[in-house]
Amino acid sequence: MSSIHLHSVSKHYGAVAAVDDVSLDVAQGEFVTILGPSGSGKTTVLTMIAGLNHPSAGSIHIGGRDVTALPAAQRNIGLVFQSYALFPHMNVFDNVAFPLSVRKVGARETRQRVEEALARVRLDGFERRKPSQLSGGQQQRVALARAIVFKPDILLLDEPLGALDRKLREEVQIELRRLQRSLGITTILVTHDQEEALSLSDRIVVLDHGRVQQIAAPREAYLRPSNRFVADFLGTANFLEGRIGPDRRSILLGGGQAIPCGASTLPEGARVTAILRPERLALEPDGAGGILPATVSEAVYLGQSVRYHVETPTGPMVAVTPGGRGGFAAGAQVSAAWQPDDVWIIPDGGSTPG
Amino acid sequence: MSRILLATSSVLVLAFLCLPALIVIPMSFSSASSLEFPPPGFSLRWYESFLGDPRWLLALQNSAVIALLSSTIALLVGSVAAYGLVRGTFRGRPLIEGVFIAPLVVPSVIIAVALYIFFAQIGLLGTMTGLVIGHTVLGVPYVILVMSVAIRSFDHRIEQVALSLGAPTATMFRRVLLPNLLPSVFAAWIFALIASFDEVIVTHFIAGRHDTVPKRMFNELVLQVNPTITAIATLLIALSVVAIGIIVLLLRRGGVRMQSLT
Repeated sequence: MSSIHLHSVSKHYGAVAAVDDVSLDVAQGEFVTILGPSGSGKTTVLTMIAGLNHPSAGSIHIGGRDVTALPAAQRNIGLVFQSYALFPHMNVFDNVAFPLSVRKVGARETRQRVEEALARVRLDGFERRKPSQLSGGQQQRVALARAIVFKPDILLLDEPLGALDRKLREEVQIELRRLQRSLGITTILVTHDQEEALSLSDRIVVLDHGRVQQIAAPREAYLRPSNRFVADFLGTANFLEGRIGPDRRSILLGGGQAIPCGASTLPEGARVTAILRPERLALEPDGAGGILPATVSEAVYLGQSVRYHVETPTGPMVAVTPGGRGGFAAGAQVSAAWQPDDVWIIPDGGSTPG
Repeated sequence: MSRILLATSSVLVLAFLCLPALIVIPMSFSSASSLEFPPPGFSLRWYESFLGDPRWLLALQNSAVIALLSSTIALLVGSVAAYGLVRGTFRGRPLIEGVFIAPLVVPSVIIAVALYIFFAQIGLLGTMTGLVIGHTVLGVPYVILVMSVAIRSFDHRIEQVALSLGAPTATMFRRVLLPNLLPSVFAAWIFALIASFDEVIVTHFIAGRHDTVPKRMFNELVLQVNPTITAIATLLIALSVVAIGIIVLLLRRGGVRMQSLT
């Protein structure tokens, strides 16, 4: 149970910076997700914390101790990979007992702790099975039991649910969060799945091209993205470009329309991008007094909701409305409406001031 | 029609390749005192003349000692090299791999001459030590080929997890990597063993007065056509067939197909 502190960590491969000046503080017991597309450097960050890869610059502290130059074997870290990485020649018991045996733990204590760890992931009774005799979900839980059995200081998870099908993934997500809370273990998870990041973590670190884009709680990151990349990567977003209006409560779009927004601290005329989440956008029958006129180009029925692709004078937009009631067909003339406070404004070419 | 043609020609080519080797088997049991086919009668006299001749037995002992030592050294050197070549990221890796594999590609005569000149300078010519070193050089490429495939097909992350779970590197090698590569280790060792056991060209150049089985067979043929060699050839064929059988079995257990080696 330790805090993790990354100070200006970079990793260069030749001229390429896989990780560029990443700083991050993870509090004791916190669950932090590093989210980013493939190639964003998220796994490199994880392997550097694990000690399997060494930073070109910067330092890493775990529990106040500088581990930057420490080999992986001495860091006391539980690590789970997407590929499970179970030892194929050992049965479940020996796999889970491995970290204890390299620590010279006695036979009786080993037995007891392995049983306890397997019970935690609900795999008691599977001790004699070989990894090849287990399903993907079971193998993942063995990997998890092996990563927690030696009471590591921190837990690192590299896309641990990536190889599981959707239904199973949701189950394991809940189990993982329950396990992490009950152990109170500081955890860093790496994923490209935004839903996983939003549902599991205390905080999210959004990474792109090796650089931190935003570090925030899930709700904060979703509602107040610091830039276009974060808004786009975390869910779907409508982007409207324009300038802050004279009253600073509206944005003048390129086509001349003015749309209402919450009070902005930016000066009049500043170039901004307005971000509108699809579920905040309401479609009303034409003439009911919306903000932008729109034509439905496509209506996609999703069961719980309906997704509308609409054409507006400022370009295509996406709206998601609860399913069930009425709805519009393709070709329908509607108008789009929203609450001014639902518009999130980011200045162009930079991050929001706060 | 074309299938029948293909099958027929395949069988003919196979016969062309195998018959000259297989014909020595009946001849080795011949009672005639010269090479004669078909054999006039059954006899074990050539096996007796092989096993009853101390010079042949000394050659056999030399061959066995050189093969065991050189293949074991080649296994150690080649396995470590293969690990570095597969897992390492360093400049000039293809070049180094090429150097290791070269003895397989470069004509044996050239290696033989090179070793002859080199050993003459450092005083290893005509010694058993020189023979073991020479055969080790020839065995290493086989080990590297087999072990590279095995290491490459083993998930690197399993090694990384073992390290992160607290295993020092040596423990990881011994308890995680080695047990999983064991079938390939044995296969690589047998490859190197066979390569050494039937080596004749390099041996001829550097062996001096020492005899090995293939070298003595060759010399016997030059002097006279002695049917004893058919008995030895038969024994060697049997040995090779058994060895290849074991290799195939081991590699299959290790999850490696023979085709992926070439």
